[in-house]
Amino acid sequence: MLGQLGENAKFLAGGQSLIPLLKLRFANPEHLVDLNFIAGTSFIKQEAGALHFGAMSRHAEIEHSALARKISVLHDCAAGIADVQVRNRGTIGGSLAEADPSGDWASALITLDTAVHCLGRNGGRTIHLSDFIKDAYTTALAHDELVTEVEVKIPPKGSGGAYLAFKRSAPVYPSASVAVQLTMAGDVCQDAAIALGCVGLTAIRATNAETALRGQILNDKTISAAAEEARAAADPQPDMRGSAEYKRQLVVALLKRAIQIAVRRARGEQVEGAHLYA
Amino acid sequence: MVEEKEKKNGGRWVGASLPRKEEDRLLRGRGKFADDIKLREMTYLRFVRSSYAHARIISVDTSAAEALPGVVCTITGKEIAAQTHPFIEIAPDHIQKVRDYPMAVEKVRYQGEPVAAVVAESASLADDAAELVQVEYEPLEPAINAEEALLDKSILHEEAGTNRVWSGTWEFGDVEKAFRDAAYVVTIDHMHFHRFSSTPLENNVVIGQWEPKEDRIHYWCNNSFPSFAIQFLAAHLAVHFDRIRVQTADIGGSFGIKITSYPQMSVCALASKKAGGRPVKWVETRSEHMVSSAHGNERTFRDTRVALDKNGVITAIASRHIDDCGAYPRYEPLGCVIYSQVFCGTYRFKNARIEFTQTVTNKCPVGPNRGYSRMQHLWFLERVVDICAYEIGIPADEMRLRNYIRPEEFPYTTPNGCVYDSGNYPKMLEVAKKLIGWDDWKKKQAEARQQGRWIGIGIGTTLDSGTNNFGQSQIINPYAPFSGNSQGANCKLDVYGEVVVAVGSCPQGQGHETVSAQVVADVLNISPDLITVRTGFDTERNVHTGFSGTYASQFAVSGLSAVHGAAQKLKAEMKRLAAFVLQTTQDDLEFGVGEQGPEIKARSTGKSINYWSLANIVNVNSAVLSEELQDVTLNCRYIWRAPFKVPDREKKYGNLTLTYSSQLHIAVVEVDRDTFIPRILDYVAVDDCGVAINPAIVEGQVYGATAHGIGAALMETCAYDAVGNMLTSTFSDYTPITAMNIPKIKYGYISTPSPHTYSGAKGMGEGGAAPIHTISAALQDALFAEGVFINDSFNNGDSIFRSLQQREGGQLSNLVRMEKR
Ligand SMILES: Cc1cc2nc3c(=O)[nH]c(=O)nc-3n(C[C@H](O)[C@H](O)[C@H](O)COP(=O)(O)OP(=O)(O)OC[C@H]3O[C@@H](n4cnc5c(N)ncnc54)[C@H](O)[C@@H]3O)c2cc1C
Repeated sequence: MLGQLGENAKFLAGGQSLIPLLKLRFANPEHLVDLNFIAGTSFIKQEAGALHFGAMSRHAEIEHSALARKISVLHDCAAGIADVQVRNRGTIGGSLAEADPSGDWASALITLDTAVHCLGRNGGRTIHLSDFIKDAYTTALAHDELVTEVEVKIPPKGSGGAYLAFKRSAPVYPSASVAVQLTMAGDVCQDAAIALGCVGLTAIRATNAETALRGQILNDKTISAAAEEARAAADPQPDMRGSAEYKRQLVVALLKRAIQIAVRRARGEQVEGAHLYA
Repeated sequence: MVEEKEKKNGGRWVGASLPRKEEDRLLRGRGKFADDIKLREMTYLRFVRSSYAHARIISVDTSAAEALPGVVCTITGKEIAAQTHPFIEIAPDHIQKVRDYPMAVEKVRYQGEPVAAVVAESASLADDAAELVQVEYEPLEPAINAEEALLDKSILHEEAGTNRVWSGTWEFGDVEKAFRDAAYVVTIDHMHFHRFSSTPLENNVVIGQWEPKEDRIHYWCNNSFPSFAIQFLAAHLAVHFDRIRVQTADIGGSFGIKITSYPQMSVCALASKKAGGRPVKWVETRSEHMVSSAHGNERTFRDTRVALDKNGVITAIASRHIDDCGAYPRYEPLGCVIYSQVFCGTYRFKNARIEFTQTVTNKCPVGPNRGYSRMQHLWFLERVVDICAYEIGIPADEMRLRNYIRPEEFPYTTPNGCVYDSGNYPKMLEVAKKLIGWDDWKKKQAEARQQGRWIGIGIGTTLDSGTNNFGQSQIINPYAPFSGNSQGANCKLDVYGEVVVAVGSCPQGQGHETVSAQVVADVLNISPDLITVRTGFDTERNVHTGFSGTYASQFAVSGLSAVHGAAQKLKAEMKRLAAFVLQTTQDDLEFGVGEQGPEIKARSTGKSINYWSLANIVNVNSAVLSEELQDVTLNCRYIWRAPFKVPDREKKYGNLTLTYSSQLHIAVVEVDRDTFIPRILDYVAVDDCGVAINPAIVEGQVYGATAHGIGAALMETCAYDAVGNMLTSTFSDYTPITAMNIPKIKYGYISTPSPHTYSGAKGMGEGGAAPIHTISAALQDALFAEGVFINDSFNNGDSIFRSLQQREGGQLSNLVRMEKR
């Protein structure tokens, strides 16, 4: 249908990015194709070692889903997006399709094995999240192509994760955020995935920070070393959410905390992760 | 229904925490606000706004907008200038030459200034059309920083020849001698109070109609000081005062920000005239509100010197204050004198010299934002007291006790002649310390410091001066035609005996209907439920004076004194009438409620007459009235006037406000060592507003003011970049405080009744921005050991992080100096 309507048409999901753009007159599509009320687009299920989310699953549905709690990062992320009103409307599919540099979902999911299922005029395809987000506000989607489903592999036993953000107040995007997924063997970190949000045009994989942890016993020293690598990897712009230097500092602080939470969760502890607010 | 058992103070309704009469309407979404008003043939206005902070307008082309179907007309600044006079300026001399029109004419002077407006059949058509207006600009050098603006390198108002709006020196006592005799002299080079706004939930709304046949302008709006707006509009539009009718409905917050909506009111009227008399509605968007309604005053404090004796008692303060009023003075430079209502704050020092200068800059004009002009000064004084305490090594609580005005000194005359009616600051400190658990926190703080944590405990003491003497405007301009203060009220028995009270205020949730009913209920000895109160300004209701509106912490004093006066007048008439009907003396009469509703009874005979019968005699059965009772109308208007004199203009001496509520807050704040985010661990707010008419309403005001203050201290700042782009034009950028950011507030109160009001009540509501002072003090306490001085009123993780970095770079060391003699 979008194909028929042409370039001046857009999909409308939760509307929590698109409606503000319309209001501010930054976007002026002639037609909106409403994805709400299409049966079978909103679901959360587990299949073959992965969680599957319908593109129209609302942040709030994921926040309250017991299944989604199996992957801590997902729950941390969903529960911390904006405020209740936004979470009740906004969708995981819309969030990835929007590819806002500050969007929480992309930053959180990039530390996991995440595939985005898409459906276009020529049928479906599956794109790995790291190939899906190309740049700020740019994805691999064709204009008339839909996200239908997001598939996240459940991390192995002994793996724990955390997603933490600093936000000046609930209804605004974070100043900086950090996602961590660690696979532990005792005190030793076997594998690490670290992503930094809001401090670049897209979420940044802090590979040097990951390397600094891999094979190491996690203690203040190794964690600090990784945090310093993350500080260097961040590439923030100064704005009302913070100066560039301060955002780097936030990355350091958030990463230290996220690692500590992830380690405890890897051990099987229940730890509530909570964003930091001003 | 309110319950008899709520009555307090020996069976009085005044002092009872009654739920608000207006609660049901406002909390269930049944209020009627200006935007709810729909008129026949309504049209909708949208402004075209400047994208530059400072630029010459080369051309404005509205033809494409006019060609759009559904557009009724457009109007430009030039057109307006051709048919109106510039707005009145309050400042004298060169500022009288400033040509302030409601839209830019030759130049734009701040980003967001209206340049043109389109009027269309619907709001969205007006939005579309506004985008079609082409404006060509030639950018000019902007003046953004106040001190740089005063160098006059780029002048905003060429007619005035300078950016300086006003300057004056307040000097009392013998400042030089105090410095000669001082044991300590502390110098603070630079402090800064930031720009913010209290961001009312409801934005500005104006419906203006220039009724063509009658040549009369009719407004529905949410302006919060309509009598002031009318004065500005009448002269500007060259329309007689009586030809301007202003009505307000429910108002969703103002905090003073809505006082200065008269420029938009002008545009709506002129657009209506051009649209053939059709009503024109303008509903401000949030972004418009952020860039161009009004911000609070920004102030810089330079070269502050403080003399202290060997006990840390302040003997003199000398300082230069530079106030930034944005692009047009408008309500200013009243802030240049209003600060002096609290010239010495809560302190006893007698010698002081403040050189005060105000300047225009290429930023949004300021308006009297909650705590207006006093909070800047009180913050300054609290910083001075704290910084001196740390330098000398006296604990912050002890420092205050040594310097506070003492309880036995009230009424206290300040160095500049203001009379503080009552107060007890040491007692408030005691109550607050108890509530917060001062000694416990001191212990915890010491332990935490051992572990390397940064915890600070801060005190903020403030005043909320209420009921202005408008004569203080003559200190700014000797020709200003205002002095004193007055409010009107009407109290009547309606034709069928209903008690109806009308006031000239336009409340924004402060509960005027409730407290007015409480006052009248006590006079007539009936339940507040039996009293109808009409609030909201209406020029044709005949209860307003030139000062009517809702602003500046005064309703409990000026408004309720007028209500009380009107109720007394009514009661006197009812007595005369009842004595005649019941054939007894006035002393024999008793007011109360009987089987047939509210009544007056003769004690001697037991006979009574109810209100319906009383009203009936005057209105319907008037032939029975005796000759002596012909003047009775049961419809009584009372004008209350404040007992003020015009201050001494040269010496800047005189009583400027009638009542002084006080606040004392204590905060415990921890600065996180990794994120530098300041977090409030504990918070106490103690208030003294004399006799509280309705303690629950007072408590609500304290919470609201505290939330605003915490927001201002830690989250909210109206930021501009170096060329005058506003960086906080949406709530995502401005981040007004939300419930999530407000800590649990422990509330306490004391009551020192005011000798200046009939009820002992004092005006309250603004709250002196106590949290800003308190949080600055707590941060100072947390970070003094790190070598950081808190010299800005806005602090967040980012700014604290940067201060600590600067301190490491040795850049702060010279800000504060102490000389021991
Ligand atoms: C006040 C506020 C605060 C916010 N704070 C945060 C925050 O802190 N963190 C955060 O991550 N987000 C935040 N958001 C954004 C929110 O999470 C949005 O829900 C999300 O960015 C977009 O999802 P949506 O379903 O609302 O998409 P929409 O707004 O409906 O659409 C966004 C874009 O994606 C396209 N699109 C939508 N669905 C699909 C699909 N299935 N396939 C292809 N294209 C599609 C649309 O055409 C459009 O271009 C905030 C939003 C608001 C209003």
